[in-house]
Amino acid sequence: METPKSESKSNEDIRVGVYVCHCGKNIAGSVNCEEVAKYASTLPHVVVSKHNLYTCSDPGQETIKKDIIKNGLTRVVVASCTPRLHEPTFRRTCEEAGLNKYLFEMANIREHCSWVHLYEPEKATEKAKDLVRIAVSKAILLEPQEEAVVAVARKALVIGGGVAGIQAALDLADTGYKVYLVEKSPSIGGRMAQLDKTFPTMDCSICILAPKMSDVGKHPNIELLTNSEVTEVSGYIGNFIVKVKKRPRYVTKDCTACADCVDVCPVEVPNEFELGLASRKAIYIPFAQSVPARYLIDEKSCIGLGENTCARCKEVCGPNAINFNDRGEEISFEVGTIIVATGLDVYDPIVLKEYGYLRFPNTITSLEFERLINAGGPTGGQLVRPSDMSIPKTVAFIQCIGSRSEQKGNPYCSNVCCMNTIKDALLIKEHWPDVKIYVFYVDIRSFGKGFEDLFRRAKKEGVIFIRGLPAEISEDRKSHNLYLIGENTLEKKKFKVNVGMVVLSIGLKPRDDSGAVQRLLRLSKTSDGFFMEAHPKLRPVDTPTGGVFLAGCAEAPKDIKDSVTQASAAAARASILMAEGSVTVEAITPFIDSEKCIACGLCASVCPYNAIIVDKKKREAEVVEAACAGCGTCGAECPSGAIEMRHFTDEQLYAQIDAATQENADKKIIAFCCNWCSYAGADFAGVSRIQYPPSVRIIRTMCSGRVATKFVEHAFARGAAAVLVAGCHLNDCHYINANYQTKRRVEKLWKKMERLGLDKSRLQLAWISAAEGQKFASKIKQMQEIIDGVTDEEIKKTVECLSSTKRKTAPITLNDNQKSLEKAIGG
Amino acid sequence: MVYQTSLNLEKILGQILDFEKLKYCFECGICTASCPVADLLPEHYNPRTLLHSLSLGDAETLKSAELWLCAWCYRCYNRCPQSLCLPEIFQALRKFAVENDYLEGFYKALKIIRENIPFPASSCYVCFHPERAIDNKQLVTEAIQKDIIDYEAENTKEVTSVKVNPAKVAIIGSGPAGLSAAQDLAKKGYSVTVFEASSSSGGMLKKGIPEYRLPKKIVDFEIKCLNDLGVKIKTNVVIGKSLKVEKLFQDYNALFVATGASKERILGIKGEELTGVFHALDFLEKANMKEIEVSDKVTIIGGGDVAVDCARTALRLGAKEATIIYRRSKEEMPANPWEIKEAEDEGVKIDFLITPKRIIGENGKVAAIECLKNELSEADETGRRRPVPIQDTEFEIKTDNIIIAIGQFPNTAFLPETVEITEERTVAVDPFTLETTSLGIFAGGDVVVGPGSLMEALAAGKQAGISIDAYLRGASLKPLKIYEKGQGRENGNAKK
Repeated sequence: METPKSESKSNEDIRVGVYVCHCGKNIAGSVNCEEVAKYASTLPHVVVSKHNLYTCSDPGQETIKKDIIKNGLTRVVVASCTPRLHEPTFRRTCEEAGLNKYLFEMANIREHCSWVHLYEPEKATEKAKDLVRIAVSKAILLEPQEEAVVAVARKALVIGGGVAGIQAALDLADTGYKVYLVEKSPSIGGRMAQLDKTFPTMDCSICILAPKMSDVGKHPNIELLTNSEVTEVSGYIGNFIVKVKKRPRYVTKDCTACADCVDVCPVEVPNEFELGLASRKAIYIPFAQSVPARYLIDEKSCIGLGENTCARCKEVCGPNAINFNDRGEEISFEVGTIIVATGLDVYDPIVLKEYGYLRFPNTITSLEFERLINAGGPTGGQLVRPSDMSIPKTVAFIQCIGSRSEQKGNPYCSNVCCMNTIKDALLIKEHWPDVKIYVFYVDIRSFGKGFEDLFRRAKKEGVIFIRGLPAEISEDRKSHNLYLIGENTLEKKKFKVNVGMVVLSIGLKPRDDSGAVQRLLRLSKTSDGFFMEAHPKLRPVDTPTGGVFLAGCAEAPKDIKDSVTQASAAAARASILMAEGSVTVEAITPFIDSEKCIACGLCASVCPYNAIIVDKKKREAEVVEAACAGCGTCGAECPSGAIEMRHFTDEQLYAQIDAATQENADKKIIAFCCNWCSYAGADFAGVSRIQYPPSVRIIRTMCSGRVATKFVEHAFARGAAAVLVAGCHLNDCHYINANYQTKRRVEKLWKKMERLGLDKSRLQLAWISAAEGQKFASKIKQMQEIIDGVTDEEIKKTVECLSSTKRKTAPITLNDNQKSLEKAIGG
Repeated sequence: MVYQTSLNLEKILGQILDFEKLKYCFECGICTASCPVADLLPEHYNPRTLLHSLSLGDAETLKSAELWLCAWCYRCYNRCPQSLCLPEIFQALRKFAVENDYLEGFYKALKIIRENIPFPASSCYVCFHPERAIDNKQLVTEAIQKDIIDYEAENTKEVTSVKVNPAKVAIIGSGPAGLSAAQDLAKKGYSVTVFEASSSSGGMLKKGIPEYRLPKKIVDFEIKCLNDLGVKIKTNVVIGKSLKVEKLFQDYNALFVATGASKERILGIKGEELTGVFHALDFLEKANMKEIEVSDKVTIIGGGDVAVDCARTALRLGAKEATIIYRRSKEEMPANPWEIKEAEDEGVKIDFLITPKRIIGENGKVAAIECLKNELSEADETGRRRPVPIQDTEFEIKTDNIIIAIGQFPNTAFLPETVEITEERTVAVDPFTLETTSLGIFAGGDVVVGPGSLMEALAAGKQAGISIDAYLRGASLKPLKIYEKGQGRENGNAKK
C-alpha cells in the first residue's frame, strides 16, 4: 500500500486534533474524559477535540482518519493508554490517512493516571488535562521524519541445543535460512536427553528426541557448533556480528565412535550426564545418542595433554582421530536474528537440612531418579536404593522442593514437578507393581492436555497422595530406611511413615551462567531470574531487543510441549524479519549541525555504540545511522547545541517541561523516565493498580542518558517542587551503559545544588526496572513526603538561582573558548 | 460456618509483622508436624489451623484457648517455607485479646495445660509465657497459682499400691524428659524409679534455667507431686559408677535414658583456666544456688539460649556490663529470637562476627580477651555460612569475667556398647518409638537431640511412656540382658 505523501514542515498552519479515550471504564472510571476533551479544545493550535469509547478500535481509528482529511489536521494527539502499547497502532492510522507517522504524540492517561488514581477522580482529571497539555505542546513542535531502511541478513543464530534450540533451528533451516546452532556442551540434546519418559504420553524421551537431533546434524542449512560458546555479540537487528569460541575437542571428525580409546584410558572421573551416579573416562562421549557422534577429551582430567605422559588413546585409535594439538578455534559471522534457548538448571536441595540430601544415601532428586530408571542409565533401568542396590519396597515423593517458597528456594511454581512425579510413580508401578508409593504434595497441578487423565491413572494404580509436606526426615542407621514425619492436613493428623527411598521433586531455576548470556545480549530478567519477554501476553517470545527472541526454559519453567511450541513461535517471529529482508529503523537518530559542531568529540566518547565518527581536521562529526540506537546521550552531552535528537529535540523537551509546570508547579514532581525501564515500570504500576499520589508528571525519553542537566535545571527554574530522573538499573541499561552518564550528570547537579544552598533531596535519581511497579509507586510516595516539606522560600530561592542559567541553544561562539576546548582535547 | 468479623481483626492483622505473608501460607503442615505442643495436645492445638482461622479474620479465635498454647520454640518459623513467624503472630493477637478483655482463652488454656502437660506450672513460666501478652504480672502468677499449683496440690493422689503391671522401669536422669516419662508410666500403673547423679533432682529445670525465668520452688513443688504419685527418685546415684549398668538390667524390665546434654564444650584457647573464666552450665547452676559472684564487666562467648541466659543472669548478679560475642551474624544466631530481644532490652550488648583468640590474664585473673574479626564465607554444602577469621584484625576486649557458652553435648560413656551413638555424640534412636539399638533401652530428650527446649523434652517423655508401655505389654517379664555385638535387634558400630 502506498502511503500518500507526508506534509512538509515549518511555516505551515499547525492544526492539532486531540482524541481523549474512555477505554471503556478503564479511563472513564476515574477521569472525566469529556471535561478533558473540552479543556483540550482551549489549547493553542487545537482545532478538533473529541472523546470516544475505544480509540484503538476500527471506528475509533476511522474517526481520526476522517478528521485528518476533512479538517486538514497536521498533528494528532491521542490521550489513552501507554505509547508502549498502541503508539505503533495510531502511527499506522495517521499514515493511512496521509499524515507522516512522526507527527503523532500520545498522552498516557491510563497506566499513568486513571489506573493509579482510582479513588481521586478530581485530581486524576486535572492530571489528565496536564498530560494532554504536555502532549500537545510537544506535538506542535514535531516534524515529519523518514525512516532509514536496514537490510536483515537471512541467517540466524540459535544459542542452546536443547529441545527448544533444536526445534527452532530445524524450523528456520527448513524455511531456507542458514542457522548457526551453538551449544556449550559437547552434544546437543539438553535436559530432554537425560529424561526417561515424558508426560503425559509416556513416550521414551530420547527416542523422540534422537531423530530431531539427527536431523540437526545432517541438515545442510545448519552449522552445528558444539563444545562452543558465544563470546561476543555486537551490532543490531538484522546485522549482528557474533564471535564464537569453539573449545578444542582433541578428537577430529574422523572419529567413528568405536570406543576403543575408552578401554585404555587410565583416568576415571564422575559422569556429568549421569549426575555423578556413574563415572566416565577422560576421553568420552556424553551419551550414546550424542550428536555429533564424536568423542572428546576432557582437558581438565586428561593427563596426556601437553605432558607427554600418556597417549594410550592415540595409540589404539584406528582412524587416527586424536589430536593433542587441537587449539580450538575462534570464529566470527554475521546473522540477522538470534534465538536464545539456553535452558535451565535444577535446584540443589542440599541446603534443606531437614531432608538430608547427600547425608542419607537413599534420598535422591527427581533428576537422579530419571537416570536410575532409564534403561540406558547407570543401573540399566533398575530403580535401586544407593545404600544396598535393592529395589525399595516403599517410595515417597516430596513435592515443591525449592519452589513456591520465600525461604527455601524460589517463590514461583516450577510448572513440571507435579506431572513429573505422577509420571515417575506410574513408571515404578509399571516395572514393580507391588512397590508402595506415597506422594506428599501441597497442590497437584495437572492443568494441561492429558494431564488430569494421567493423574487419574496414577490414583487408579494405587499411588497414595497425602496432602502435607514432611517436616523432617530421619534415617534408620542400619537399614538406611527413611522416616518421614509430617501433618496430613486433610485429616488433621500427624503422619509417621517409614519408606525405603525418598525422591525430592526439585524445582527448575535459571541457569547459573545466565548472567553471562544476559550481558552478551543486553537482555532483561524478570524478578524470578528468567529472561524477560517483550510483553507477557502479546509478544511472549520477543525480547525488548529487536531481532532477539526467546524459546524454552530460558524464558520460564515449562514442559517439553510448551518449549517446542515456543521454539516454533520464535522461529516464526525471526522468519518474519528475515523473509522481509529488511527493517525500518526508527527515525530517532541525531542530526549534527556542522556549522555549530566544534568537533570536541564528547558525543563520540559517550556513545555506547561507537556510532559517531569525529573528524578533528574537518571539524565535523558524523553519525553512523545504522549503528545508532537513538538513546540521545550524545545530544545531552554536546556543549555547543550542535546535535538535534530527532523526535526528542531540546525544544520539544523544554516545551513539555513548560507545559507541565504551567500551573501549581510547586506541588508537582517532574519525572524524566526512560522508555525501556522506568517508564515501563510506571506502566506496570498502573497495570497492577498500585495507587500513588497524583503529583507526578512523567516526560518520556528513550534513555535516561537523554536527560541533560539543563532540563532538570529548567524544571526547577520553572518552580517545580521536585524532579525525578529515572532509568534502567546500572549494567542493565537498554543502551548498554548510557545510564552511567545519567548518574554522572545528576551527581554533578547535586553538587551544584549544594553549592547554591538548595535542598538537593528535591532532585532524586532512581533505577527502576520494567518489572518494578511497586518500586516506582514507593518512590513517588517518598517524594510526595519530600515535596510536602518544601517551603515557598526554597522554591523562590531555586527559581532565582537557576533562572540565570540561560537556555543554551546557541553555540559557545567565543573564539577563546573554542581554542581552550581544542587544547583540552589535545587537538 | 459463617465468617463474621465483629471485631476489626483486619486492622490488628495489618499491624503484625508478617501480615502480607500471612496470606501466603499454603498449608503444607510443616509447622504442625514440627510443633512439640501439637504432639502433646493433639486434640487442642494445631498451629496451622489456628493460623488459617486467624487469616480468615475469625474473631472467635480471640476467645479460644488455642491462641495461648504456643510454646515459643520457633521450630515452625525455622522450617516454614514462607518464613511465617507464628509465635509473634500469636503474641500480637494475644495482646489484642487482652486489650479487649478476652481473657477466657487464657484461663481455658491453663486448664488444658494442667490436664495434659507434665510440669504444667513450670511450663507456663518457661514455655507458654502468658505474661508476655498480659501486662498484669500479678494476675498471671495468681492464675497459675490458683488454677495449676493449688489444683495440683489438691488433686494429686498416689496411684494404688497394687500395681497394675508388675514390670519395673528404671529412668536415668531426673530432668524434664525423665520425670515426664516417670509421671506417664506411673499413671499407667508401672513401678518407676528415677536415678539422678547429682544431689538434687529436676535437671535443667533446677540447674540450667535461671531463677528469674523459673522460680525453683515451683519446680520443687511439681517434683513433690510426682513423689506423691509414687515415683521414687534416688539422688546421688551415678550410673556406671555407684551403680553398675549390669545391676540395673537385673532389676528392671525397661530402661529410659534421659541424661540430657550437660557436658560443656571448651574453647581450647590459652587462658581458659584463669580465675574469672566460667563455663556456662556450671555458672548457671552456681548462680541458682547463689554461690557465685561477678565483677563489673562480663563477656559471654556463644550465641545460644544458654549464652543469653548467662548474660541476663550476670546483669542480675550485679554486673554493670554484659556483652555477648558471637562468631556469626544476627541471622545465624540460634538463640530464641524473643529472648534475644528481651536481653537487649535489659541492656545486654551483642557483638557479632568475633572469634576469641586467647584470654589474657593478670596475676592469674582474667583481664582481657584477644579477638579476631570474622567474615562469613559462602554457604558450604549444608547451606550454613562458615565464619572465617580475617587475618591481622586482632583487637582486645577488656573484661573481668568470661563465660563460655559455646554448646553442650551428652555424656554417653556409661552406656553399653550395644547402644549406638551418632557422630554428634547423641544416642541413636528410632524417631517414632525412641527405642535405641539395644532391646529394651529407650532414650529421649537432650541426650538424643542435643540441647533442646523444655516442651520437646516433655513430648519425648510422653512418647517414651507410650513406647515403653507398648514394649512391656508385648514382651515377657524377663530381666534385660546386655546383648553382645551381633545379637539383639540391631547392632551397629557403636561410636563413642
